[in-house]
Amino acid sequence: MKLMFEMPAEDELKFSDSVGKDEKRMYCVPYNFEDDKQVNGYICITDKYIYKLLEGELLAKYKLSEMNDFIAESLYGSCGFYAKINGESILICRFISGRNLPRYSVIVTACEMLAKGEGKEALTSNEPERFCPKCGRPFVVHTKICPFCQSKKDVYKKLWAMTKGLRLMMLFPLIAAIISIIFRFIIPYIQRIAIDNYIIPATGIQSGTFKGFILIVVAIITLDIVHRTISVIQGRMAAVSGNRFVRMLRALLFEKIQMLSMSSIQKKSTGDLMGRINQDVAVVQSFITSQMPSYVAMFFSFILALSLLIYLNPLMCLFVFIPLPLAIFCILKFKNIMQRRNIRAWILGQRTNRNLQDVLNGIRVVKAYGNEEDAVEKFVTCTKNQAKQDESNAKTFDTFFPIIGFIIHLGKYFIIMYGNILLFGGRMLVGELSQFNSYANIIYEPLLQITSIPRNISNFLTSLGKVLEILEEEPDVADCAMPINQKIVGNISINHVTFGYDSYNPVLKDISLNIKQGEMIGLVGHSGCGKTTLINLLMRLYDATEGEILVDGINIKDFAQNSLRSQIGVVLQETHLFSGSIRDNIKYSSPHATNAEVINAAREANAHDFIIGLPEGYNTMVGEKGYSLSGGERQRIAIARALIHNPKILILDEATAALDTETEKLIQDAINKVTAGRTTFAIAHRLSTLRNADKLIVLDHGELAEFGTHRELLDRKGIYYKLVMAQKRAELAKQNAV
Amino acid sequence: MVEDKEIDLLNDDDIFARRISVRLTPQNAKFTRSANDLISMEFTNSNGTVEFFERVVPLRAFPITDPDEYIAIRLPETKKKGKGFEIGMINSISDFDEATQKLIDEELSRRYFTPDIKKIYSFKEKFGFYYCDVETSSGKISFVMNNPTSNIRTLEDNRVYISDIDGNCFEITDPNKLDKLSLKKIEIYL
Repeated sequence: MKLMFEMPAEDELKFSDSVGKDEKRMYCVPYNFEDDKQVNGYICITDKYIYKLLEGELLAKYKLSEMNDFIAESLYGSCGFYAKINGESILICRFISGRNLPRYSVIVTACEMLAKGEGKEALTSNEPERFCPKCGRPFVVHTKICPFCQSKKDVYKKLWAMTKGLRLMMLFPLIAAIISIIFRFIIPYIQRIAIDNYIIPATGIQSGTFKGFILIVVAIITLDIVHRTISVIQGRMAAVSGNRFVRMLRALLFEKIQMLSMSSIQKKSTGDLMGRINQDVAVVQSFITSQMPSYVAMFFSFILALSLLIYLNPLMCLFVFIPLPLAIFCILKFKNIMQRRNIRAWILGQRTNRNLQDVLNGIRVVKAYGNEEDAVEKFVTCTKNQAKQDESNAKTFDTFFPIIGFIIHLGKYFIIMYGNILLFGGRMLVGELSQFNSYANIIYEPLLQITSIPRNISNFLTSLGKVLEILEEEPDVADCAMPINQKIVGNISINHVTFGYDSYNPVLKDISLNIKQGEMIGLVGHSGCGKTTLINLLMRLYDATEGEILVDGINIKDFAQNSLRSQIGVVLQETHLFSGSIRDNIKYSSPHATNAEVINAAREANAHDFIIGLPEGYNTMVGEKGYSLSGGERQRIAIARALIHNPKILILDEATAALDTETEKLIQDAINKVTAGRTTFAIAHRLSTLRNADKLIVLDHGELAEFGTHRELLDRKGIYYKLVMAQKRAELAKQNAV
Repeated sequence: MVEDKEIDLLNDDDIFARRISVRLTPQNAKFTRSANDLISMEFTNSNGTVEFFERVVPLRAFPITDPDEYIAIRLPETKKKGKGFEIGMINSISDFDEATQKLIDEELSRRYFTPDIKKIYSFKEKFGFYYCDVETSSGKISFVMNNPTSNIRTLEDNRVYISDIDGNCFEITDPNKLDKLSLKKIEIYL
């Protein structure tokens, strides 16, 4: 991310005038608002002063040593860079959030350091830009692809490289297409011979020529059959090679997504990833297998037809081309109009759908508040608008489309007219005319499609870009050169770890702890303070920005990811069960477990009883389309899943939802069994879990606030004390209410 | 579940001690312009003590429907403690004198910077993004939008809000007052 911008000449001049001789230029970033106008100004920061420059004017100069409390605040539609100078608050500048907020977040840290006299080295940030450095336009969402600057050559080169194994197969359709074109042009010629030399003079038949005519007819029929056979073969080959290509691409894409680290997957939504695998690959396929070959064929046919027409009769060729500009203009206009209308119809359709989904999902609330009539009225308005638009669109289309058709074929009427003049004047034969007509048709055919070619090509390039982007991405969290693969004992050290999902916004700040094997550690803190983040770091789903985590004295980055994670067990807050049987789900972490082991794990987790009670026992299908289990049952299956492969380190993210007392007891007992003798990290909400913990960690806004046993922390009467007391009050209140 | 160090829990309210937000009127709140053009406030508590805040931040409760009513006055955000707590709320900006109204309005219009679009020069779609050039009350501005169906919102009184890819917001007070060409360009999204 760029922190040193080049200023325009006038600002640069003013800056050099104002800056002191011994000052070092450290950062230069743009700002965008002044009073009530959008502007292009710059904030230039040296190691001593902050300069605010706009259009060659020095608007302000602040001394860093007099300042503190820098902050970048989000306003509505923009952001402000605030600080305190000599104890008084000041607004330094305002800037556009999307583009510049990450920059200013680093600037804030930098200024804090400079104000204290530290930070003589300029800070850098690895945050990726969301805007193209060349043209300033935004990248395609979630990618680094700038549609304007993207080099088409590069994309095509990569695509070509991917078709390695299939090139031979893709050659056949091309050959077939060429043969097909040749036939298309030969047949009218033969027909012309047939008509001119045989059919027309047929009135004065000479016996000898009849044989020749039969030959011609046979020739036509044979050519036609061959032509169609080749088409069939071509179609099949195109389908096979196209589909193989797509299958390979989809598999590659999915595999790559699996291997990517958590951070890049989190940045993209599931919908986006699914879209890339399904739709983008489909767009690429449709382009490669059907659109591109047809464009190539169209192009060659056009050239060939054009040359033949000019050769046959240049004047009449002109007639063919006269209406073309008008036709293309009308088609473009028509398409634009229809597209606007279609977009509007689509938007109205979406509104109706959203309304429908909203109301139907919340039908209980609608009925509870008695708002059925309101809901009906709203829906009727939506559908009425949509229907009106659809009707209008249909009318427009049906009125104009036939007119367009007529204009397109205008050329044909000219040909017929002029052709007949020539015919009757004896300067042209019928057969010739017919051949000419056939070639002219070839030119008119693609007319309707020509206007959509640019859009299809650009869609293809964008989709291809999105697919390639994933294929080429390097996973953030990668195994090092020689990953270690060894059995873990369970001693964990966290040394000065700092981490943030956005590098400028640390969620964990300088955390240090030591945990011995077998200890159970409870993690507490208010929501959003970093508990789940710490756990994510332990599982190495993300790498810490600063500091290190050691397991048995070895940095977790040096472990092979597979080896590390297979020795860590996880019970998360939201239990996700895959579609499959209960047995499959329990065996998920340990695919080679025997039935006996599955049952044992279930017994330990207090899940066996309810599973046996199900009609299909351990074979019951659960997950998306299967049997619906209750929250407590899912938790226990998750515990069994974590137990079965006997992990040395266990991570437990307690569900916050309260369950009935009996289930609570069962789960508590299961948790106790599962944590015995294992190094456990538990994000705990229940008092009982907290009391059993060997040590407790209290996080406050990402910092390690308190560390000690339950007793010690209660005595301190700090944050932990407040949390425990609050929970006790809640329980007391519940009891009293009952 | 009995703990040794049990205290009279039900009456131990300082655990949840928080500042309670009060209604601010000219009687208990005096707003002044700070040294660097931000807002300072002198606040008189119900028990008579006076507090002086070097900088306070006004926030609109209903920025889109009722911008001049229910303005919350808070302490500024800090890196350590996150969002500042609310000192009080102004029921209606007209409760205060003209000078104060002007002061608070200035700060609010800086915070809620939403230029009013007067004319749309171009609105072209390319590669999934919409590039727009418009004339606003703050001069000529170019911006990029990425999803017009969800980023162009029409409100109950026909005002239109447009948000661009950077988070900037623009407003059209009355789409019918726009000239025909401009209206044509965006009417499909209204």
